[in-house]
Amino acid sequence: MRLNRVSFTLILLFTSLTANSHNPERLVISEIERGQLTFENDQIAAEYNAALKRQRIRRLNAMTWIKKVYIFIKAGFEHIIPQGIDHILFVLGLFFSTLKFRSLILQVSAFTLAHSITLALAALGFVKLQLSVVEPLIFLSVVWVAFENCLFKQTTKWRPLIVFIFGLLHGLGFAALLSQYGLPKDNFISLLLAFNVGVEIGQLTVLLVAFILIRLIFRKYKSNNQLKIPASILIGIFGLYWFIESLI
Amino acid sequence: MKDILLILGLILIVSCEQKFKLDPNINPFFQEWNTQFEVPPFLDIKDEHYMPAFKKGMEENLKEIDIIVDNTQEPTFENTIEELERSGKLLGKVQRVFSNLASSNTNSQLQELQRDLSPMLSAHYDKIRLNEDLFNRVELIWNDRENLNLSKEQQKLLSDTRKRFVRSGALLSNSEKKQIVEINSKISELTTAFGQNLLAETNGFELILDNSDLDGLSESVISAAYESATQKMDNAESDNDREKYKDKYLFTPHRTSMYPFLTESTRRDLREKLYNSYVMRGDNNNETDNKKIAVQIAKLRVERANIMGYQTHAHYVLEENMLKSPDEVYDLLIQLWKPALKRAKAEVDDMQAVADAEGKDFKIAAWDWWHYSEKVRKQKYDLDESAIRPYLSLDNVIQGVFNTTNKLWGLNFREIFDIDLYHPDARIWEVTDKDGSHLAMFIGDYFTRSNKRGGAWMSSFKGQSNLDGRERPIVVNVCNFPAPVGDNPSLLSFENAVTLFHEFGHAMHGILTNVTYGSMAGTSGPRDFIELPSQLLEHWVSEPEVLKSFAVHYQTGESIPDELVEKLLKAAKFNQGFINTEYLAASLLDMDWHTLTKEDILSNSNDFEKKSLNKIGLIDEIAPRYRSTYFAHIFSGGYSSGYYSYIHAAVLDSDAFEAFKEIGNVFDSNLSSRLRKEIYEKGSTEEAMDLYINFRGRKPIIEPLLKVRGLDGSLD
Repeated sequence: MRLNRVSFTLILLFTSLTANSHNPERLVISEIERGQLTFENDQIAAEYNAALKRQRIRRLNAMTWIKKVYIFIKAGFEHIIPQGIDHILFVLGLFFSTLKFRSLILQVSAFTLAHSITLALAALGFVKLQLSVVEPLIFLSVVWVAFENCLFKQTTKWRPLIVFIFGLLHGLGFAALLSQYGLPKDNFISLLLAFNVGVEIGQLTVLLVAFILIRLIFRKYKSNNQLKIPASILIGIFGLYWFIESLI
Repeated sequence: MKDILLILGLILIVSCEQKFKLDPNINPFFQEWNTQFEVPPFLDIKDEHYMPAFKKGMEENLKEIDIIVDNTQEPTFENTIEELERSGKLLGKVQRVFSNLASSNTNSQLQELQRDLSPMLSAHYDKIRLNEDLFNRVELIWNDRENLNLSKEQQKLLSDTRKRFVRSGALLSNSEKKQIVEINSKISELTTAFGQNLLAETNGFELILDNSDLDGLSESVISAAYESATQKMDNAESDNDREKYKDKYLFTPHRTSMYPFLTESTRRDLREKLYNSYVMRGDNNNETDNKKIAVQIAKLRVERANIMGYQTHAHYVLEENMLKSPDEVYDLLIQLWKPALKRAKAEVDDMQAVADAEGKDFKIAAWDWWHYSEKVRKQKYDLDESAIRPYLSLDNVIQGVFNTTNKLWGLNFREIFDIDLYHPDARIWEVTDKDGSHLAMFIGDYFTRSNKRGGAWMSSFKGQSNLDGRERPIVVNVCNFPAPVGDNPSLLSFENAVTLFHEFGHAMHGILTNVTYGSMAGTSGPRDFIELPSQLLEHWVSEPEVLKSFAVHYQTGESIPDELVEKLLKAAKFNQGFINTEYLAASLLDMDWHTLTKEDILSNSNDFEKKSLNKIGLIDEIAPRYRSTYFAHIFSGGYSSGYYSYIHAAVLDSDAFEAFKEIGNVFDSNLSSRLRKEIYEKGSTEEAMDLYINFRGRKPIIEPLLKVRGLDGSLD
């Protein structure tokens, strides 16, 4: 039996309020029947975040395809600049590892291919890993690249393979973010691609800016090695710091 | 290409940005809301804005009243009644937002504010209601009403306004007024105590069970009971208490805990124990006993009614309702009572047959009802709830109700995505009429969450009025449907879908309303009438034609199978003898309590109740829906001599829908436009019975309801 509405007649007198149908009156009853409301902030926050995601999907679904694609490219880009400091450091790690354009292209391609694979697999639901596991590992990959940069004068032969494996990890990181963001079912593939494109644009932007800065400001350095070691140490320290922080 | 995309995107984003800005240094309630569709700027409203806005709102309201009273011109309808209508705008603005959010998206600050505000507001409205100079002006206009050439709507407004003063004692002598104030404050203390006692009594009984006591219970019920016990254990203060709940299973007289147990448990002794704890609440001769309080409240209510010049409390209450006198209410209830009781007795026979077939040698008792009716249900009405849910995704049901009102009245709904509401689960639509004109905004807030009150209701953030230009409303529905899990849609039960239609019916009442004076808009009518627009809409969800049009499987896209629809509709008649009998018994009990006169000698609540129930011949297998000592609706809520309203509205809605059935078209356009014009648009601008007769051409009859509920003998 559904219960009725307010007896707020007195309170609502003279205001132009129309009474709620089913409200406060029945709340008296339902508090007796069900007990009082308690506020558990964790739960409220979790419910709120789930609702935000639903809202985002609703809003996305209502947009034109072209706008959705733009938004996902933007989201992918923003996940590198400015939010993805871990990915930026990793890409810079690759950048400082070698002077040879070919070697850099090879590494970056391996990285891109790898993270695209895991991003797609995770988004499609084939792979699942907790962000709390993936995140520290990503920072660890930054530390490793920096460490390797300091250790070897030239990049090793198996370097692209290591980068590829790390790339798989970074892809899972992207996927975790994407799943929080929500991917509308209707345009799943094109938006997944758009997100990935955004990530690539972000990544290329990092490389481009680094390249230009090095060329413009540090022109006096003859060898990249002069910069390679200090830059890598810096990257390694940051990576280590965030690695430890992500564990706490 | 990238640049083009970027620029395109930027343009789109910018074009969606908020076009208005509030001054962040000024309380948003003190600013004009030039928002899209004048939706409250929820993101700008902070908890600390309410109290100052309430205070200023009350202050302004009193100033406006002073201006009306101090007007040196002769009192006229325009300078008094209409000005009263205009007064209290700021207070209304803040009150609407606050009372909505304090229920649908609350927190401890809002709860605290609500406690602080409640006495402040009632004192504020007392000041206005007891303002003698103001009443004198109203009374002068009232006495001159024949010569004023008022429209029908204006006459009703004048009479409603005056009645509010009179019903708060404006015509009484000063000593009588003082008496009324005293009685009111006593009643208010007693009703609060009644509610607190009831809460204590409901929390006071615990059925703590061992592993060996769980016969018949399902996995989910067991784990919920285990969870309750564990929670108690975690909150326990002493080791002793912790031990008491350790690895135990807890059931309580809260209905959510009790009903599953009574339904499933095969332990008759334990069913009896838990059931009795429920029906004995407030009747345990302890410090939280409610028997004396009920008697005192009833006595004070007669006393008050007598001072006001009414024979009984029921006369006082009913004056404002659609049914105007206790006789009319009794007449209705007794008419329904006989077929309900007859059906209930048949249900007892059905259950007894099951028990006999099981070889049990007992007579079905009150605590057996849930257990054995469930067995009958499985035999006769078997319906797998989980088979229905996939057809009732929330979006489909919303679409279903939109389509229904589109076919009835040509309404269209357009979801607006770039308005920020108070919670991301709340959604908003613009409602337009068949000619494309703006009608209202509709907010749907459907999912359950921990900072929302239980239940389902309709309310509004902005009212409707045509007094100073065309003002259209912002209406909200709040429900507690299960939130989606993961990426799946929210799947509703059929009962949820009915609730959605029900609340949307209230929303329609608020959306279609078209009156001059805001205080008479939408759902402002009497309680035994305002459930008509809501319950009426429920009938469409049960129409196979309508149901099949929107109940589409969320994965396969298939329409709901006929066989399932048939089972679903048949199940609606299950257990109706019981449901109606327990309800009617409580309604009659309510009426008996409130038709007491001063001369009636009343000492013991239990004797009184027993006499009342014997008189109608209630069977032992059924207790009234609420016994006196836990009848919170009438002794701590505002339903005294009003509990009958539910079934009265049901009589109305069944009879009203029958009009469509008679024509053979549930979307008949003549009938639907008459329904809109006479019921949904009119608010309370005419007497409710007149509105109904205008639509139906005659007074309501009970037969359609009996048919809907299977009380017409068709099941015997």
